[in-house]
Formats: sequence, structure tokens, C-alpha cells
Amino acid sequence: MGFEKFGRFGYVSQTKVNPLLSYLEKGKIAATRCKKCGRKYFPPRADCLDCRHSIIEWVVLDGKSNLITFTQVFFAPPVFQPETPYLLGLAELVSGSRVFAPISPTVDKEQLKPGLELNLKVAKGSRDNLYYWLE
Amino acid sequence: MGRIGIIGVGHTKFGKRSDASLRELAFEAYSSALDDADMDSSKIDGSVVCSATHYDKQRSPAGVVAEYLGLNPQPTFNVEAACASSAVGLRTGWALVSSKLHDVMAVVGVQKMTELSSEEIQELMGRAGDVMWESPFGTTMPAYYAMYATAHMAKYGTTEEQMALVTVKNRKYGSKNPNAMFQKPITTEEVLKSRPVSAPLKLFDCCANADGAACLIIANAEKAKKLTDRPVWVAGLGLASSPMSLAGRTGPLTSFDVTKNAAKAAYQMAGVGPNDVDVAEVHDSFSITEILNYEDLGFAKPGSGTRLLEKGETELGGKIPVNIDGGLISKGHPVGATGASQLFALTRQLRGEAGSTQVDGAKLGLAQNIGGIGMYSAVTILRA
Repeated sequence: MGFEKFGRFGYVSQTKVNPLLSYLEKGKIAATRCKKCGRKYFPPRADCLDCRHSIIEWVVLDGKSNLITFTQVFFAPPVFQPETPYLLGLAELVSGSRVFAPISPTVDKEQLKPGLELNLKVAKGSRDNLYYWLE
Repeated sequence: MGRIGIIGVGHTKFGKRSDASLRELAFEAYSSALDDADMDSSKIDGSVVCSATHYDKQRSPAGVVAEYLGLNPQPTFNVEAACASSAVGLRTGWALVSSKLHDVMAVVGVQKMTELSSEEIQELMGRAGDVMWESPFGTTMPAYYAMYATAHMAKYGTTEEQMALVTVKNRKYGSKNPNAMFQKPITTEEVLKSRPVSAPLKLFDCCANADGAACLIIANAEKAKKLTDRPVWVAGLGLASSPMSLAGRTGPLTSFDVTKNAAKAAYQMAGVGPNDVDVAEVHDSFSITEILNYEDLGFAKPGSGTRLLEKGETELGGKIPVNIDGGLISKGHPVGATGASQLFALTRQLRGEAGSTQVDGAKLGLAQNIGGIGMYSAVTILRA
């Protein structure tokens, strides 16, 4: 199975950053780092923007983050409709990278506000799919 | 660099056009633009066909549109920039005419959306974002703008009632536009009570998918003066891009950097500032978008866009009338046609032909058109 395993419903099957899935399987979230200049990328990139070097290594990411903004989706694309309403968020990780991710339903919606501390954790779907969410 | 003039404009009725195909919509707009310019097809030496082609059944629609308009064998260009396709199309035509490769061109924005099933539309909507890192979580077009709304509300105390004022204002003017999809005014209460789409946005905070076309005939200064005695001049063009992924953008997400960058370029090229604008068309794909646009274009300070609405400054008779043709919220949003539709409205304003919605003495008009979830923004300044 390719990268379509990533997400609640994945669209892209082929990518150089496929190894992310093996980290997620082990319950870890990983970023890429350029072996030449050390710049870190999350979501992972296969190619360094600064030095155009494409030899990267994987580093485990700290999931601690602060919420920037969020929404609750009521009207969803067909494959997501059974799960409505659901929460989506944008958060800033301690490393400085930003992450777009679902917010776990265990989080109290009333408490959500920009600045709220959340943790990016690995989540598993019912179709053997893997992703991360904020909880 | 010579001036480029808009010498003719055309517009179809927007909405659910089950009577017409894509090529026929394009023809309606093109033909009325030729009538408006009082000319025939013989002087048109190229076409720019603007459409977000993923909505069209026809692949590479410039091919069939150029054929149906009778514009073979002249060159044709297919321009796609999602919801900003025809603003980018004008920039494309401007560059082609400025380069002297062409003298007189037709810029045709067209979209046929309602023949897709709602399943197909929703599936497409689900892939409007970064398909690798964001769409797999169930994103939608409204969800992205809702996240800007949440951030603006948290930072500045903007309320859902204030956002509803955008819809109320635009629907009021939409009722005076015979081309609009919705021609009935609406109340704040009706907006607030409409069903949630992506919180805090509700159904009537959102524009609707539609079919339609709009056309601009452009020409170099020499031809423009020869062909018409009322050209409207392209004074400023600004276009910028931003990361498509929301996670790739910086700042608190209470404004669109992409619009600020496009506005800066357009103001600079035209040698004007926000206070010089007499009438504006801004991209109200969602109510919150119009408020952010006021701020990003410099009509209001950050966080104070809602005050313009409350004081009626963006109404007819206010300091800077905005979307006096009803905006996307009333007209509907046939994606590829929207940018040209905005420029159609401005051209008529600057020629003093806007009838009951005429802004007195309008000399300088500004149109702003966002592409997709904010990865493109175009600002166009026209001068009478």
C-alpha cells in the first residue's frame, strides 16, 4: 500500500516521503531534515528549499503545539460525510513548523480558542489508514 | 509601455443556466461585448479563455470556445487560476497586447458548474486544498475561510452579526442587478438562522456555484481610441501568490498576505492609494472574505473592516462603495467568469452607465479577485 494510507482519506499514492508511514505505524511523528544544511521540514519534504539538496534524514517530532485557528465542518466532501460534524485545526509546533490536522473529538469544542495548548498524536483509522490529530 | 483599454464588455445572466452549454454561455458574453464595442469579430486577433477547467466537461475549453466564437485561426490561450482565472486572463491579455504580439483581444471568463452532480461538486471541493497534507482530513473551500473567520473573531472580536452585514448589503444591491442569481434582499436574522456549513460560516455567508460568462474586449491605445470614444484604461495590475497549504502561511491568519502583495503592486503601477478609489469590487466568496479584503486593500485598518460596514461606508453614497453589483454573494460564482464580471461592473461604473447603482463621478475603480483558498490574488485598477 502506498501513501494513500495517510490521512482519513488519502488522495496521493506516490511520494518520496513515504517513510512517514513507517514512523506513524510505530506511534511516532517524524519530520525531514536536510543532511547538508540541517533545515527541518514538517510536513516532511524530500527536497531542501535552501540548498536544493535532496538527501534528507528523518527526525522524530515533538507534538507539543499551540492552536492558531479551527473550524467545525458540517458540510463535507462525500467520503467524509458519515463523520460530520468534525473539527479541523491549524497549530504551531514547538519546533516552529505549522501543522494542519483534525482535532480529536475528545477535545471539548467549547474550550477551543487560538493559543490553546494541544498535542499532535498519531491516530489510526478503521481502514488501516494512519494520520495524526490534535488532542 | 503603451496604455491598454477595455473597449467593450459583455455579461450573461448568472445562475442555474440549464438552457445553455459552456460554449453558448461564452458566446452570449462575447456577442454582447462586441455589441457594446459596436464592432464585429474581424478585428479580434486572439482570445484568452479563462476557466477553472476541472469543472468543465470539455477538456481544454479554449479550443471549443475559440471555434464557437469564430476566432479560428487566431491564437487562443486557456488561463486557469481557480476563482481568479479571468483577472489573471486580463493580465495575460494585457501582456500580449503590450508586447505588440496582439492588438485587440477577447478575454472570456466562463464556467458551467451546475451540470455536475452535487456529489461531483463536493468531491472537487474536497480537493481544493493541498491534496497531500490537508485534503486527506476532509477540508472544504468554506472550511479554509471559516478558519480565517475564527482567527479574526478571536483577535478583533468580530461577530457573526457583523459578518452577516456583508450578505445583507450585497443582497440589497443584487436585487437591482438583472444578471444576479439571487435578486431578493435578505435580513441579518435570516443569515444568522441559516444552516451551518463550516463554523462560524453559515449557508448565507457563502456564495453559490453558478453558470455564466463575462467578456472584456481589450485593445492597445491607438486601436482603443479608434474603435471607441469611451475606453476605460487598465491603470494598475497586481498579482501575487501564497502557499497553497494553510500550514505554509505565516502570521495569525487574520489577513491575506497574498492580497496585500497584489494591492501594493497594483497601487504602485497606477500611482494611487486606497483613498483614491471611487468604487470597488472585492471577492466576497464568503462574508468574512469581504471584511478581510477591506483591511488587506487598505480601505480599513486591520481589525476595523466591520466598522466600515456598520457605518455604511461601503454602501452606495458611502466613502468607498463596494460590490454595488451584488458581489459573488448575489450574482453567484461561476468561478472562471467572476473576475471578468467584476471588471464588467467597474467598466460600466466608470462610463457612468450603472443606472440606479451609479456611483456619482466615479473615475477610479478597483477589483480584487482571490483564487481558490487564497493561493492567488489579483488586484486590477481601472481609470475612466
